[in-house]
Amino acid sequence: MTSTSIVMPSGSRLLRSAFLMPAILVAIIAILVVAPLLRILLSTLTPEGLAAWETVLFSPLSTNLWWRPLFNTMALGFGVSIGCLLLGGFLAWLVILTDVPGRRALGLMATLPYMIPSFAAALAWGTVFRNARLGGSAGFFETSGLAIPDWLAWGLVPTAIVLIAHYYSLAYTIIAAALSSVGADLVEAGQMAGARRPRIFFGIILPVVTPALIAAGSLTFAGAVANFAAPALLGLPVRMQTLSTRLFGMIETGQNERGFVIALLLIAVSAAFLWLSDRIVSGRKAFITVTGKGGRTKRFPLGVWRWPLFGLALVVGLLTTVAPILILAASSLAPQGGALFSNWTLHFWIGEGGGAIAQGQAGVFRNPILLDALWNTIQLGLVVAFTTMLLGLALAYTIVHRRGSLLASVLSQLAFMPLLIPSIAFAAAYIALFSAPIGPMPSLYGTFALLVVAASAHNLPFAVQSGRSVLGQISADLEESARLTGAGLIRRLFAIIFPLAIRGLFAGAILVFVKMVRDLSLVVLLFTATSPVLSMVAYRYAAEGFMQFANAITLIILVVCLAASLIAHSLQNRVQKWKES
Amino acid sequence: MFKRLAKAALAACVILPSIAAAGDLDKMTPEQLLPLAQKEGSVTIFSLSSRIAKIEKAFEETYPGVDLIGVDMSSTKQIARLEAEQQAGIHAVDVLYIADTPVVFTKLLQAKRVSNYVPPRVTGEIDDRYKVPLLAQRLSTKVLMYNEAAFSNGSPINNLWQLTDPEWRGRVLMVDPSQRGELLDLLTEIALHSDEMSKAYQAHFGKEIEVDPDVQGAGEQFIKDLFANDLILVPNSDVLNKSIGDINAKEPPVGFGTYSDRRDNKKEGWALQVANKVEPANGILFPAILTIADKAPHPAAARLLIDFMFGDDTPSGGPGFEPFNVPGDYATRKTIAGHPDSVKLEDLQAWTIDPQKTAAARGRIADLIITLQ
Repeated sequence: MTSTSIVMPSGSRLLRSAFLMPAILVAIIAILVVAPLLRILLSTLTPEGLAAWETVLFSPLSTNLWWRPLFNTMALGFGVSIGCLLLGGFLAWLVILTDVPGRRALGLMATLPYMIPSFAAALAWGTVFRNARLGGSAGFFETSGLAIPDWLAWGLVPTAIVLIAHYYSLAYTIIAAALSSVGADLVEAGQMAGARRPRIFFGIILPVVTPALIAAGSLTFAGAVANFAAPALLGLPVRMQTLSTRLFGMIETGQNERGFVIALLLIAVSAAFLWLSDRIVSGRKAFITVTGKGGRTKRFPLGVWRWPLFGLALVVGLLTTVAPILILAASSLAPQGGALFSNWTLHFWIGEGGGAIAQGQAGVFRNPILLDALWNTIQLGLVVAFTTMLLGLALAYTIVHRRGSLLASVLSQLAFMPLLIPSIAFAAAYIALFSAPIGPMPSLYGTFALLVVAASAHNLPFAVQSGRSVLGQISADLEESARLTGAGLIRRLFAIIFPLAIRGLFAGAILVFVKMVRDLSLVVLLFTATSPVLSMVAYRYAAEGFMQFANAITLIILVVCLAASLIAHSLQNRVQKWKES
Repeated sequence: MFKRLAKAALAACVILPSIAAAGDLDKMTPEQLLPLAQKEGSVTIFSLSSRIAKIEKAFEETYPGVDLIGVDMSSTKQIARLEAEQQAGIHAVDVLYIADTPVVFTKLLQAKRVSNYVPPRVTGEIDDRYKVPLLAQRLSTKVLMYNEAAFSNGSPINNLWQLTDPEWRGRVLMVDPSQRGELLDLLTEIALHSDEMSKAYQAHFGKEIEVDPDVQGAGEQFIKDLFANDLILVPNSDVLNKSIGDINAKEPPVGFGTYSDRRDNKKEGWALQVANKVEPANGILFPAILTIADKAPHPAAARLLIDFMFGDDTPSGGPGFEPFNVPGDYATRKTIAGHPDSVKLEDLQAWTIDPQKTAAARGRIADLIITLQ
């Protein structure tokens, strides 16, 4: 794809190889991302929409509607993003590049928090730090006589901490994938040249994984900015609004235009930051670390620090995984939501129906639709993860190979936006776009296909970001050699790119899978299914006030996600046999 | 599923021209609707309650040959989906079972995306105000709730203005009205009853109310004072109920919640009770409505289903209504008896919202509470 090819291609081949794929990608992105965005933009250019722009930006309401929520949102976005990079990066370094004991267990633990819904972490925080402001039963510290000030129980600080505890695993997943491709030869070269450890770290390792850091930073930023559960649970009691709670509220109270204006502004602000970070990466030379030679990973001996660092990582892991899981598990066992650790019963899991508990509802394992829903969920997650990664890989490939070009920066900007488009607006746009037959394509209304298309577009950022952070490290030499021997693009992709980039690809696929398995909005809005998915079953229980059942389903979803990530892990080890040392 | 939809659509195309116009369908009895509905074969309903699954079973047993497809979805999502579908020229859903009536009124009824239908079988047993502009099936509440274990002598509040007193500073809870429509409707209703609010002010403070220049009327003044008295906003009713209702709490707050949540008191360890003797009212009753989508593909089956969901002539309403007959919610059909343990509908001191009036006043209140935060 690069212009340095040795054989001069004929005109038609040039057209095919160099322009066809980007053209197709631009078309796909235009349909999947630009069209829904434009539709939302157009809906804010009606008279009501224009009034909404004015209200949000230039009216007595703008302070509380836009500026203060914007400030809170940006503070959360940057705080969480930095926190996640430090925590996730530290753990990734520890697990991938050092001889810390129990690396596998630590690595597994670090991938877990993202699979646990963020409301569980927020609830866990409340269980410990809740103070008397809301009444009800106090948290652990207050009952043991320690007064908790409002700033620690509610608002920006606890929200940021909870979101870091949730999203750092996203950063870990991406950075670990990139670190694992830092070959031993690079580090050994540095050592032979007499570089000390800090020098190797800052001079070799950090620059090499910068693209991954940027990718992780922007994804965690977007995650924190878009998260609703944590700021709602911990922020509202002190009237802290973020753009996501504002957005939700506007749509929920029928003021869609204002909601869409806020969403568009949020996208614009985030895009500006992303563009800046993109400039930082593309302004410098890319470091190619996957060269086809070597490929072992060099592990640093930690010496006396082995056990203390292990202890630190373990504490982080336990606090961010065990605490929320414990809360979830307890709330699926305790009959009363206010007393999570008493009178535990397995009724909500396996109990027979008809008794006095839970209005005669049987346990979730006796729910006849559970198996059905489980199977549908896994199917949906797998299909969407596959299609998203396929599309994401193609995009990442193009972006990486045309680094610095206008095309690349436009594509990477657009591919990032879907995360910030509210799913209700996204889904509405998709219904409008695909319900009528387009050319030879039949109407997709109500079909599984429409759901898959929309979900792939919505989750694209995970695929593109994780894909480009790994692809950027793969040497062009490998592809060049393959091209000289006459291998076509498809062949090169499957024989070279896939196996080398598989860690990053699977990392992205897992993120997409997890998101899809948990996400409800798109499914409800786009698919008229009589066969439900797990998140729908959980919603039904929760809507009827049966939180125990809902939390039991959440735990089942967690197990599904965990199983998926373990399978992905063993698959990538099988493909990259040379990594075993 | 898809096949079934396609088949149903095909069937509808064949049958539609031959059957009577909608006006005639509106006058038909269930017996007359049934054969037409059976020809249509199925009916799709969006439902705010997952209890639609129980209705599905009962309906299909009563009317074999009509397949009920129930999709449970929040009111907001129903509105978004119906709007998007109809804009795309798709008419797939027949019936909406939905709350959020002010939004339904402006976005769906005024835009002719839904139409009102009152089953002739029950029309004589429902008050006129529940039949227009949209037919209400039952009423839910957002009313003042307190903790009956901590306040064993009854409600500590008997006038809404008490909530603005220093004694209740930081001790009044509600789900954020900028996040949830029903709470916005509650505050709107308070603003709409300014005269009653100023009388209640007089009764509580013993003097005439002075309204600040930046608000209109005693209702809005109350909202302003309530926010200034450190009203605590929470994200959902689960958090609210736990905070107000905890049976072991010493000095629990009060708040605006759902009366029917009291039925979970025993299960959850709560002591929630409605504060009913409150001047001038303790909150609102708001309807859950049944309405037919424009160009519904199964018009006869849609009407048959709405008729069915008003229950039979027994006091419990029978299988068509029973799943929704919970203490603290109220059927609009008068033959269906309220729950013996709950305050009778006519004794509940709550205002019933009028979707049309609320819709007109709601925007202003929405803006007001944003400035107050």
